[in-house]
Amino acid sequence: MRVVVVGSGVSALTAAAILAKNGRQVLLIERQPEFGGALRQFKRKKIAFDVGFHYTGCAGSGEILDLIWSYCAIRPRLRVLPLGSEGHDRFEFTDRTPAVRGYFSYPRLAEELRQHFPAERAGIDTYLAAVRQICADVPFYHPEQPLLPFLRGYKNRPTSLAEFLVRHIGDRYLRAVLAAPGFLYGVPQSQASLEVHALVAHGYYSGAYTLDGGGQSLVDAFLAVLAASGVEMRSGESVEQVLVEGEKVVGVELAGGERVAADQVIYTGHPATLMGRVPASLFRPAYWHRLAGLANSLSLFAVFAEGERELDIHQGPLNYYLLPGSGDILSADPETPRQRRPMMMTGTRTAADELLHQGRNGIILLGLGYWQEVRQFEQSSSGRRPPGYEHYKARVAEEMIGVAEKRWGAVSGTIRPLAVGTPLTFRDELGAPEGCAYGAMHCLGQYNPEVRTRLPGLFLAGQSTVMTGVAGASISGLIAAGEILGLEQLWQDVVRCR
Amino acid sequence: MEAEDALRRRVVEVLAEEFELDPEKMVPEATLYEDLGLDSLDAVDMVVVLEKTFGMKLTDEEALRSIRTMEDLFQFLLRLQAAER
Repeated sequence: MRVVVVGSGVSALTAAAILAKNGRQVLLIERQPEFGGALRQFKRKKIAFDVGFHYTGCAGSGEILDLIWSYCAIRPRLRVLPLGSEGHDRFEFTDRTPAVRGYFSYPRLAEELRQHFPAERAGIDTYLAAVRQICADVPFYHPEQPLLPFLRGYKNRPTSLAEFLVRHIGDRYLRAVLAAPGFLYGVPQSQASLEVHALVAHGYYSGAYTLDGGGQSLVDAFLAVLAASGVEMRSGESVEQVLVEGEKVVGVELAGGERVAADQVIYTGHPATLMGRVPASLFRPAYWHRLAGLANSLSLFAVFAEGERELDIHQGPLNYYLLPGSGDILSADPETPRQRRPMMMTGTRTAADELLHQGRNGIILLGLGYWQEVRQFEQSSSGRRPPGYEHYKARVAEEMIGVAEKRWGAVSGTIRPLAVGTPLTFRDELGAPEGCAYGAMHCLGQYNPEVRTRLPGLFLAGQSTVMTGVAGASISGLIAAGEILGLEQLWQDVVRCR
Repeated sequence: MEAEDALRRRVVEVLAEEFELDPEKMVPEATLYEDLGLDSLDAVDMVVVLEKTFGMKLTDEEALRSIRTMEDLFQFLLRLQAAER
């Protein structure tokens, strides 16, 4: 009774830990040399940079991440740092002052918004109530509710976030601040659904948390627990084929030709990359067409840099956002000029016990990026890019640094780039088609695939299958393990960790 | 009537292709689940295919759930088309 888990991001690690705890023999296979997917850190000049994890919601006592981490026995290995009621993101506009504080707290946020936009009081209340109301029926926010009716039941047709905001909010700057959590699921504002927005925003408005040691600490905690529970882990190897006999999974074949027997496979690559790895005849053409046609979430440009000074997240904001004064804050148009795109600055967090050994002035700039911008270089691979690409990359970085220094130079000082990521980098390093930051979009008009597939024993869990972010990925892993172990029983056991 | 026949033909054609079904068996009284062998896992794929083929949003969950036979499906789509005009 072996389960092969393909990939080693949060969803894969979570699924593997849950299965191992329940006595399953688990083999985890990662294509990259290191485990951890988007949670992995890399170092430049002794500064540890997080690529995919900067903060999360849902990690407070009794919340879903706390429950999953407790169940997986990794919670004691983590130092979860709540931002507190004063914790906030700072939202600035290219053409408006002052900045608005996006508190990680419903009451503080409501107070701040009413103060800045006194005429919009009713709209603010309507919006916040709608977000809460949508999440009232979601078991991940209310673990006392059963899981299956939510997962299997019909969902109401999603409604447009943009239409909702226009209907209830007159001030476009306020609309932009309310739409800003869109950054955390990577959907253009015009295609965002109120329901998905609410799922993400509710966590964000309910509290934010960082981890001492960043995303790497989560990876390390999982790896320690997996090793202790006898999970076999292999990196630098890729799964080429899911082997099937009599319409049932019987194993996988690795790149070198080695075959490993397995009763179940949890595939955490992008669903569209399942094609070619599973015999085509196993699924109806409609399913393949659906996977191939999935529209991907937005991508990013990232500048990993060294600032003159350390950003103090306990005194100041956690993240600094610069939002365009006109148009959508997240435009669907890849031709959107860079000055009309949003940008974010955040600092690196240093693990308390490594303060002596680590650089502390790490700065990360994230700007909205589109695959179309780098598509001309798509044939190249990591480490072998044409000179034109390097120039392009340097120019984008210079531009982003220029904007950041002008805006936030008082806190960051001079910013010197150490590494730059583009949609192409994310495609190649994270196996994300088109460099998508959050897998296939959870947006209006798109039907994302479920965790279970028509092939018994094959499950999808990665690349934001169920939802985005660390919480979304952890939930995807939980559901994949649950499909194997029995969903409702697992859910009850996890909830009992409260 | 002509438009109605065209829609019926198109539904049979596209579902036969996308779900590898035998068009001969896709008569109006055929049930999607028992006779044609589709199941709940196919339901979403079917919505995606039909939305794309006819350029309409299949929003009425209640009505979708009540579809049992090919004829139910035809009538559902015809009603939707009429409403969009």
